[in-house]
Amino acid sequence: MLRMSLLATLVLSLCQDAAHAQMSHHQHASEAACEEPTLRCATKVTPAFGPDGTLWLAWMAGGQVSVASSSDAGRSFSAPTQVTTKRLNLDWGPDARPKIVIDRKGGIALAFSIFRDEAFNGQVLYTRSADGGKSFAELKPITANNESQRFEALALDQDGTVFAAWLDKRNRVPAKEAGRKYEGAGLFFASSRDGGATYAEAKLARDNTCECCRLGLTFAAPGRPAVIFRNIFEGGVRDHAVMTFADVSTPGEIHRVSNDDWQINACPHHGPSLTVAPNGTYHVAWYTSGKARKGLFYAHSRDEGRTFSAPMALGQPGRNPTRPYVLASAVGTVMVWKEFDGEKTSVQMMISRDDGENWSPPKTISSTTDTSDHPLLVSNGQQVYLSWMTKADGYRLTAIEDQP
Amino acid sequence: MRRRFAGILGLGILIASAATLGAAPTLKPFERGTWQGVLKGHAGRPTLVHFWGVTCGPCKVELPLLGQFAKDHPGIDVVTISADLVPNLPAATQSMLDKAGLSSTENFIFNDGFVERLRFEIDPAWQGDIPRTMLISRDGTITTIEGSAEMADLEKWSGQQLATH
Repeated sequence: MLRMSLLATLVLSLCQDAAHAQMSHHQHASEAACEEPTLRCATKVTPAFGPDGTLWLAWMAGGQVSVASSSDAGRSFSAPTQVTTKRLNLDWGPDARPKIVIDRKGGIALAFSIFRDEAFNGQVLYTRSADGGKSFAELKPITANNESQRFEALALDQDGTVFAAWLDKRNRVPAKEAGRKYEGAGLFFASSRDGGATYAEAKLARDNTCECCRLGLTFAAPGRPAVIFRNIFEGGVRDHAVMTFADVSTPGEIHRVSNDDWQINACPHHGPSLTVAPNGTYHVAWYTSGKARKGLFYAHSRDEGRTFSAPMALGQPGRNPTRPYVLASAVGTVMVWKEFDGEKTSVQMMISRDDGENWSPPKTISSTTDTSDHPLLVSNGQQVYLSWMTKADGYRLTAIEDQP
Repeated sequence: MRRRFAGILGLGILIASAATLGAAPTLKPFERGTWQGVLKGHAGRPTLVHFWGVTCGPCKVELPLLGQFAKDHPGIDVVTISADLVPNLPAATQSMLDKAGLSSTENFIFNDGFVERLRFEIDPAWQGDIPRTMLISRDGTITTIEGSAEMADLEKWSGQQLATH
C-alpha cells in the first residue's frame, strides 16, 4: 500500500510538474505577454494621431484587432473597441500589422491581413468607423480576387482620399497557365473617396516585386502617393525601389534607391520606411544583405525620388541593427531602429535638423529584455513620439526629446 | 484504495499526455541554448542546418529538394529548424516536413517568443530571412547560404566532406 501511495505521489507530482512546465513554457514561447484581446497582450501596435490631437492605436492581440484612443499622449486610453467579431488567423509575419488612418472628420479607416487558408494564403480586410471609433462596419476584402494578398499599407491624402497598396499574388495564375515562371508578387493599389467605406477596383502598379516585406507608403504631394518597396530587379536582385504616382489611379516609373546587389531567393521579412518632408525631400531607410553593402541604411532624394544620396549605414554592425523607421516632421527628421546586445533590445534614435544632411549621434531612447514590436514614429504635428510595444513592459509612447 | 485509484488515475493522465505528445514525434523545441547543443551534438560530422518557415514561398519550393538530398546523402547530418515567429504552427510544420520527405531528420521549431535572442545565438548578423542554410564541415567551419540553396552547391560541398573522411 505504501508502495502504491508512493507511486501515486510520484505520478501526481510528475503531472503537476509537467503542467507547470507547460504553463510557464507557454508564456515563454509566445510573442505575446498574454492571450486576451487587450493592449497589454498585443504583439503589434500601430499608432495614428487624429486631427484633434487624439492618439489612436490599432493592435493585434488574442486573434482580434482592436482600437482605443488617448487624449493624454498615451498615459490613459479609452475602453477598447473590438474591430473583429470573431477570432481570426491574423497574419503574424514579422512585417504584418494592422493599419490605421484618421481623416479630418474623425472617420477611421482600418486594414489588416489574415491567413485565410491552411496554405497561408493571405487576404486583406478593411473596415471603417464613422462614429469616432465606437463601432466598425463589417469587415470586407479589399479586392474580390481570391489569390493571396498581404502587406497592405494605408495613406491619407489631404482631401480625405484613402489610398491602399498591398502585395498580391494574382498574376501567378496566368503565368502558371502559360507555363511561365512567376517571381514574387504584384504591387497592387486601390483608393477610396468615401473615407475607406468602399475602395475602387484594384490595379497593378508593378509586377514581380518581393512578396514578403512591408511597404512604406505616404503622400509626396496632394494626389500623389509614393511607395517604397523591395523590388525584384534583373537576376533576382531584391533591392529597393520608389514609385511616385501621377495621381491616385496612375502609377509612375520606378527608381532604384540603391544598388545593394542582394541577389536572394528568400523572404527577408524586413521592409523599408519612407517619409516625405513638407519641402518634398524623400527620406528612406532600409535593410539589405547585398554584395555591395549589408545592414541598415538611410538615403534621401531631393528630386522627387528619382535619384538618392549615397547610402549611410545605421547602427552598430555587431548589434544586429534592425527595423528602421524614418519620419520627417516640423521638429526635424527622426530615425529609429532596434539593436540587440545579446540580452536586451534597445531603440536607437537620430535626428537631423537640416533635412537629412547631418545627423545627431545615435542615442538609446528605450530598451526591453524580451521580445518587442518594430519601433514606429508618429507625429501630431508638433511633437514626434516613439510608439513601441514590448512584451515585458507593455506599450510605450515616448516623446522624442529635442536634441541640441 | 483511494490512493491506489489516484495512482492509476495519475498514470492514466501521464499515458494520455505521452500519447498527445506522440502526435508530433519529431519536432523538437528550439530554445535558448539549443544552438550550442546542435553544434556539440553534430561535432565532427558534416552537418547541413536548414532554416525555413511555413509561410515562406521559396521555402516551400526548396524543402522537397532538401528531402531528396537528405535521402541521397546518409553520410550528411541534416537538421531543419522552423524559424518563423512564435507562435508558429507545429502541425503545419510537421505536415510540410512529412510531405518533403524530412520526417526522419532532426527537426526543430522555434519555441521562444524572443526570436531576436535565438537568432543572435546562431548568427548575430542574421535578421530572420528564410530560407537559410548553414553547412558545417567536420572541422566546424560554417558556410552560410542565404536564400534558396542550389542543390549543385550542396552536392559539391557534400562530395568534399565525404571525400575527406
